[in-house]
Amino acid sequence: MAIDVSEDVDHTTDTLGGSFADVDAKRAVRGLGGLLAFLLVWTGASLTQPAYVLPSPLVVAETFVAQAASGEMFVALGNSVLHWIPGAVFGTGLGVAAGIALAWSPYLDDVASPVVRVLRPVPPLALIGFAIAWFGINHAGAAFVIAVGAFWINFYATYGGVEGVSEDLLDVARSLGVEGDLALIRTVVVPASLPEITTGIRTGIGRCWMLVVAAEIFGVAGIGRRILRASNNLQVDVVITYILVLSLTYLVVDVAFRALQRRALSWR
Amino acid sequence: MAVAPRVRVDGVGKRYEGSNGPVQALDGVSFDVADGEFVCIVGPSGCGKTTLFRIIAGLEPATTGRIVLDGARVDGPSTDLGLVFQEYHLFPWRTVAGNVGFGLEQEGVAAVERERRVRELLELVGLDGFADTYPRDLSGGMKQRVALARALAVDPGLLLMDEPFGAVDAQTKKMLQDELLDIWQETGKTILFVTHDVEEAVKLADRVVVMAKEPGRVREIVDVGIERPRERSDDAFGATYQRLLDLI
Repeated sequence: MAIDVSEDVDHTTDTLGGSFADVDAKRAVRGLGGLLAFLLVWTGASLTQPAYVLPSPLVVAETFVAQAASGEMFVALGNSVLHWIPGAVFGTGLGVAAGIALAWSPYLDDVASPVVRVLRPVPPLALIGFAIAWFGINHAGAAFVIAVGAFWINFYATYGGVEGVSEDLLDVARSLGVEGDLALIRTVVVPASLPEITTGIRTGIGRCWMLVVAAEIFGVAGIGRRILRASNNLQVDVVITYILVLSLTYLVVDVAFRALQRRALSWR
Repeated sequence: MAVAPRVRVDGVGKRYEGSNGPVQALDGVSFDVADGEFVCIVGPSGCGKTTLFRIIAGLEPATTGRIVLDGARVDGPSTDLGLVFQEYHLFPWRTVAGNVGFGLEQEGVAAVERERRVRELLELVGLDGFADTYPRDLSGGMKQRVALARALAVDPGLLLMDEPFGAVDAQTKKMLQDELLDIWQETGKTILFVTHDVEEAVKLADRVVVMAKEPGRVREIVDVGIERPRERSDDAFGATYQRLLDLI
């Protein structure tokens, strides 16, 4: 009721705002419809299949609640977060730093280019052997695999952003007393390429969550491990439960980061 | 004893390798600008005006000759040379105050003093009240005022302007010209102003350096010598205008 009133006020005072609200409401209704249709098809399909092939949404919901109530869900999530965070932080930090350095310095770019080209196509999972040998079957090993994935996404996003920084802005900065590479990078290059850098970070965060599952293949505890174990036991309801945990966690992190990004880029 | 000029452009030549062999963009360009003088450079497109601007600004090396500012050779961009471009080149991630205060930040001016000077400069260019606005929300004329205030902030010995009013509408252009003259008279700055608009040169300059092309060189330096404010309808204005047109 209160919402209805405020929308009416929108219509009278600001037709533009009102029409945007209408569009938002329409889209939300459509989205909800899509979700319901999906659940309906899922339920229908589950009726024709045994539970170990496809459990119904209701069964999954029950399992979800049970996993949450027993605390097992939060232990798994906590374990995954413990390698997701260091992996994402190190991979992002090094990727952004390397992207800035190589895009800024033609000399470094020339030196590093052959190595970059050889290493670039290596999938992070192919490095699991190194992760085990260098770090062991633990959070650090899993974090390493995740960091490699985050590194390349951030490296290329940052590289592209820095390459696109206007030479004229750099000239202006020099004429206003900015001297030296580091000062120019700090005052012009980083703020000017922040849109590309933050988009890279955001893409990287998503990729890191995918890698969390993969990185746990070799035995590190977490959501991915939990999914693999449940798969081996044909507990499809548990598999779906943890897939949902992964999706929801990603959604929360992504929405939070997007809010931060909007704020940092409010000048655009 | 004659007073040393603020700027000496001394035998400046620029040669570069084009796709059809070497190109002589500038050849033997020499002139002086006195302290507090307003000098315009006009010429047809392709006469190397912008190349000359970039060389004087220290953004590009000359092949021959040199630029001397206050007795010292210019060998790169510095706070002695305030730059204003046609395309503004404001820092889009900084507010109006952030743009104007940029040079003061680099000099390490304390925040309180910086704020005071930014406020003064914004008042000077008529943008008080826009301190917290981002460039994307400004019109072209307002952006150019910010660029001018930003260049003036570090108190450069020479203000170098490259077709600064080339991207705004005629009415805004006239307003900005009047404002620039006011600011020039108020601050006593030395201004070197590149334009392709002959009328603009007659309206603004003490002296006009007329350039010719292929290779880019000085054809003649014309003393305007008309009392300000100058009106297009004045006979003297028309005569100087016609004389410059004939030279170009």
